[in-house]
Amino acid sequence: MRRHHPWSWNALAVVGLLVPMLTMSAGVARGAVQGATPAASPAVVECPPDAAGAPEGGVVRIGVILPLSGTAASVGNDERAALELAVELVNQDRSEVSLPLAAGVGLPTLGNAQVELVFADSQGQAEVGQSEATRLIEDEGVVALFGAYNSAVTRTASTAAERAGIPFLNAESSSPDLTEQGYYWFFRTSPHDGTFSEGIYDFIESLNTDQSAGLETVSLLYEDTDFGVNSAAALTAQAGERGLTVAGEVRHATGSSSLTAEVQALQQQAADVLIPSSYTTDAILTIQTARQLGYLPKMIVAQDAGYADPAFVEALGADAEGIATRSAFSPDIFEVKPVAGQVNELYRAAAGKDLYDVPARGMTGMLVLLDAINRACSTDPEAIRQALVDTDLGEADTIMPWTGVTFDDNQQNELGRGIIVQVQGGQYRTVFPAEFAVVEPVVPLAPWDQRS
Amino acid sequence: MNVDLRSRTGRWLVAAVALVALVLFPLFVGGGSWLNTAVLVLLYAGLAQAWNILGGFAGQVSLGNAAFFGIGAYTSTVLLDRWNVSPWLGMPVGAIVAAAFAVAVFFPFFRLGGHYFAIATIALAEILLILFTNWAFVRGARGITIPFVRGPDRRPTDSWAFLQFNESRVPYYYVVLGLAVLAVATAVVVERSKLGYYLRAIKNDQQAARSLGVPVLRYKLIAVAISAAVTAAFGTFYAQYLLFIDPETTMRLELSVLIALVAILGGVGTVVGPLLGALVLIPLSEVTRSQLAGSGNTLDLVLYGGLIMLIAAFQPNGLVAIGDRFRRRREAVRPAGDETERGEAPLVGAPGTRN
Repeated sequence: MRRHHPWSWNALAVVGLLVPMLTMSAGVARGAVQGATPAASPAVVECPPDAAGAPEGGVVRIGVILPLSGTAASVGNDERAALELAVELVNQDRSEVSLPLAAGVGLPTLGNAQVELVFADSQGQAEVGQSEATRLIEDEGVVALFGAYNSAVTRTASTAAERAGIPFLNAESSSPDLTEQGYYWFFRTSPHDGTFSEGIYDFIESLNTDQSAGLETVSLLYEDTDFGVNSAAALTAQAGERGLTVAGEVRHATGSSSLTAEVQALQQQAADVLIPSSYTTDAILTIQTARQLGYLPKMIVAQDAGYADPAFVEALGADAEGIATRSAFSPDIFEVKPVAGQVNELYRAAAGKDLYDVPARGMTGMLVLLDAINRACSTDPEAIRQALVDTDLGEADTIMPWTGVTFDDNQQNELGRGIIVQVQGGQYRTVFPAEFAVVEPVVPLAPWDQRS
Repeated sequence: MNVDLRSRTGRWLVAAVALVALVLFPLFVGGGSWLNTAVLVLLYAGLAQAWNILGGFAGQVSLGNAAFFGIGAYTSTVLLDRWNVSPWLGMPVGAIVAAAFAVAVFFPFFRLGGHYFAIATIALAEILLILFTNWAFVRGARGITIPFVRGPDRRPTDSWAFLQFNESRVPYYYVVLGLAVLAVATAVVVERSKLGYYLRAIKNDQQAARSLGVPVLRYKLIAVAISAAVTAAFGTFYAQYLLFIDPETTMRLELSVLIALVAILGGVGTVVGPLLGALVLIPLSEVTRSQLAGSGNTLDLVLYGGLIMLIAAFQPNGLVAIGDRFRRRREAVRPAGDETERGEAPLVGAPGTRN
């Protein structure tokens, strides 16, 4: 008989409590937030006579992997609602919405087959992503995989799809490596960090040309995980060819309790533009510290994330005024693209909030995938892949601020891009590019003591 | 056949039957998520067994074993990524690196007693996590993707030379089964050797052990070196299984805690305990997630956590003690001397007893 060791009781109880807590709270959102996706042209598809046609049971199953628990759970669940809406548009006759497949029931070339999404929770963890991808493919019989928000999860889940030989469509991960590793089955509708960084520099360039802002040097501030590091790398790589000088880079730990030293370093670099890549709490702290220390560059153009979070504006009030950030989607696109407004109404009815970045990109990606399956006239993986390769959607086919969707040799959408929004009157307003701008950008930033 | 399962012969018989069942397992399930679950069960069984050598036998609770796991994964993957060295070679190299690292770091750690030791191990893994996140040579936070070995038709293919199986995951199962058997064999050898007796003496009373001439520090260091080496070997396997590693996936605190949890829940200080713990806990986590998590209401995690707490409350000595509990009850009810009733009992008896 074994002895009862008192420590084993304690350790067991402590560990028993720790595990579920960690599982629910940890799992760090590594995927950055960006990009968007399209919907297909309502052109009539002609199928070859030997096409497979209607699938068994009249249902096309698609596996969706999202962070439904963990730190990114709220984003994951919002995207889930958007994907369900996309499928509802396809499955039911919603001809009032002018997006591909919205008119008519189901997928026309597959005998009006209904689409069914099978959701799986990645918990934001790479290894869980692969387990769930495998299960969806082998046990649930899905014809394609979709997801998975966190870049690391997308990596392992797409590995499973590549092994099994079925298409994987990603609509929300921004790490450039994902499409650059040359997977045969992997497609991405969202722009990646490289494209987004170009957008930031395009904006700075336009400020110099149109408003003679005289912006020549930049400082980079970034958090130390996948998102910040990738963002800084892309920004640094592109600065030279855009005629901008990087005055310096400052890296900070995610969730810092003080950023004084970091802001002082930025102050010494005295660059014209600050380009920060940080999550919400760090973004708020950066601006609060900048105000305290009297650090004010001519312009701040952020790389999405915390600076595009409505909580950022709420917390800072007047201090957020004039700060610009790259984004993938802005509610005021409804003023330019009526169909986006229509979709937003439907989304708000389902999810109780406005459509934003990630759900909008997810929904668009799902419509691209369903359009491809419809054009494939079959659920054969190779046919779907070929249809994805042939995707050619225009500006009117998506709710995104994109010129459309076509895939390049790496199967990355070449027509996606980000937009720049600026806080004006306490609201995010689109200021760039010109086609989607609803107001003029304001430059330079107002001095801290002249804000009400 | 009336073999006493607690006897030496009985135990070998059970082990042999279990091994044959494990070898045949893939033939029955084919593929699918059960195979994946089986791989994870064997992985955690092995990791918990390695933890058990230090945490169970020697009573030194480590909540930082993910550090060794990460070192194993990173050593072989960096060798592969930078110099195209096969993971088969990277695995022993990783094991040696992890063992050397463990000895160097735990030398001062072992001066800490009880809870402070556990806290230090948590800090160790967290420090390593931060270092790797910021270390450009190992690609920092972006992690390392292991490229597919591709056949002539571009399709990912199997390669025993590079420990990568893409057409079927069954070879992965046999590799991890081999590693798990190795881990169990190591634990059995340690348990029965002089080392095992020393470790148990250390666990029971360090001062007493030292006064009897047991070189306490040296044997604790030997235990942690073995534990680290075995853990690292599984790290290499895991990197090849996922084909992607980053600091978060291989070194996070949650992984360290799960390794300890599997061992503690199964039963500390026994060879069977960690196996039992993995067999119950891992499928529990996989099944609750696959059945319930799709709804997004995290009911699976509540259920999983709740079951862990139930086991903790009612089986503080681990699952392995359930057998003991029944036995005690039966002995209490049964009149002394009535041991051969219908040839069914005695589950407890002198080793080697046959009815």
